[in-house]
Amino acid sequence: MIRRLWPAALLALITVCIFAAAPAISLGNLNLGVTLLCYLAIAQAWNVLGGYSGQVSLGAAAFVSTGAYTTALLLIHTGIAWPLALAGAGASAALLAALLAVPLLRLHGDYFAVGTLAISIAIQALISNWQWAGGASGLTLPISAVPSGAKLFQIAVLIAAIAMAVILYVRQSAFGLRLAAIRDNEPAAAGLGVWVTGHRLAVLLISSAVTGFAGAVIAFQFLVVSPDQVASLSWSLNALLMSIVGGAGTVMGPVLGVFIVYYGLTYALQDQQTLSQVLEGVLLVVIVRFAPQGVWPLLCTGPRRLLRMSRRPETGPGVPAAADTAALAEVESADLV
Amino acid sequence: MTWDVLAAGVLAGGLYALIGLGVSLVFGVLGLMNLAHGELVIGGAYLALLVVVDQGWDHPLAVLPLAALAMALIAYPLQRYLLTPLLRSSKTAPLVATFGLSLLAQALFQGAYGIHPQSLPSSYATSGLTLFGVRVQTIYVIAFALGLAMCAATWLLLTKTRAGSAVRAASADPRTAAILGINVNTVYAMTFAWAAALAAMAGVITGVAQSFTPTSGLPLVLTGFAVMALSGIGSIGGVLIAGIALGLLQSVSVGLFGGGWQDVVVYVVFFLALAIRPQGVFRRSAH
Repeated sequence: MIRRLWPAALLALITVCIFAAAPAISLGNLNLGVTLLCYLAIAQAWNVLGGYSGQVSLGAAAFVSTGAYTTALLLIHTGIAWPLALAGAGASAALLAALLAVPLLRLHGDYFAVGTLAISIAIQALISNWQWAGGASGLTLPISAVPSGAKLFQIAVLIAAIAMAVILYVRQSAFGLRLAAIRDNEPAAAGLGVWVTGHRLAVLLISSAVTGFAGAVIAFQFLVVSPDQVASLSWSLNALLMSIVGGAGTVMGPVLGVFIVYYGLTYALQDQQTLSQVLEGVLLVVIVRFAPQGVWPLLCTGPRRLLRMSRRPETGPGVPAAADTAALAEVESADLV
Repeated sequence: MTWDVLAAGVLAGGLYALIGLGVSLVFGVLGLMNLAHGELVIGGAYLALLVVVDQGWDHPLAVLPLAALAMALIAYPLQRYLLTPLLRSSKTAPLVATFGLSLLAQALFQGAYGIHPQSLPSSYATSGLTLFGVRVQTIYVIAFALGLAMCAATWLLLTKTRAGSAVRAASADPRTAAILGINVNTVYAMTFAWAAALAAMAGVITGVAQSFTPTSGLPLVLTGFAVMALSGIGSIGGVLIAGIALGLLQSVSVGLFGGGWQDVVVYVVFFLALAIRPQGVFRRSAH
């Protein structure tokens, strides 16, 4: 019981600490923090969908832009307070997912991925042509109604915490086990009585809502939402890249992936966007070719594998080798949190 | 709605068939959804730009075979040494890798030529001619003829030659084909190279007909997928019909709603076709 509870307790503790520390952080770092936390939320939302349920999505941009535009339109036209606009962003992204689920859930594997890609490009084209929503030049949020500084950072902390909590729940619950069963062998899972469509729909809705929330925070941060920025395919790329580089289907992988991709590429090559994009493409190809499991599982198992190699000559004929490897395997799977 | 609009749609359909043929061939034989196909097309246009602008050739169509050959030479090792090993490793890795390649290629185009729209200057880019009393653009007549010729050539290659038999065998059952002495890796790489050559030809035509930017490939790859979704896999006649149907639909919708919506129509058609009839609209039964 304690082993199942400590990750959630740790997450709650970290969230409260960062939340409370917000007023003491400098403005530049707050801004950086918001960016990183949004990436984290989007990457984890992708991870639930792609990593745990096996539905690889290329459509994160569709839900980021839905969240961002809903927030912008609500603040401009209705004058409601920002918490309601934030809630509206999550709701509209989930609603879009619910509508699209009708055709999307008929698709599997690569077809699902290409379907989500088509959706995100279609949404970008739709927004660019939608004159009421500013067309290609976009919308400017009313600055007085938008949270900023420490408050915005705290909102981002909460959104990222929700994403992490979702991942922890999926990791530890029977729901998550059923998702993994669907990912690994859908007919077998269905044969054992798992309601496949219901589970796929639930994950799609959760993932989209979290991405929509992140889209709202991005709108608050950018203050101007335009199709080129919030509907850019780079959101889909980053969600995929950060999760896969860190390790899709693990809790800590995307956290590591956000730092690797952001500090290694986006931030380090701020002035050279083209080179940064070239390297992002190369990194994605290299990871799926040589380390498809991602960096986090390598870090978890690497030292132990080295240890096992050095220990192997010592296991004499008296020690049952099978028991040894079984014990190691158990330790590995338990610690891959 | 005038006959001009319909004729333009049918002729543009030849170009879409050319793009869709490559996508369909790669998916039919290799089982690979190639998200970088649009960049193979635009890459052909940039290759032609290199020759036309820097070397001063004034006939972009003379570049067609050159661009096709160059793109095939780039594509062959890519498939042989990167994508084929991935096809054997996991379900989604090849798709993700082609997504990475697509963005990588876009960044390379941007690094080389910037984000400004480019086009291939040529005398027949804007000229028109009258066919059966209907005014059409010369370049689209060429596009249609090329699409028709390449569909026919691919059909002949696949059904009448020994190499084509090997491709069909590798497509139907790669294991058995390998046991019978067919080098499946080579077949895969040759198929991919042929699809890339088709893409490069489509790219040169696209470059003459309209301007292009580093990100122009994305709508094109989805056009290719739309054609494949409409036609079903493994039917070259279906590809041609689907390409023309899509061209017609697009030009009619542009006539009705205006130019900004032409890509949206393609996405909607693609999405509906995929969701309602994943086996293809123009396909009656599995082969």
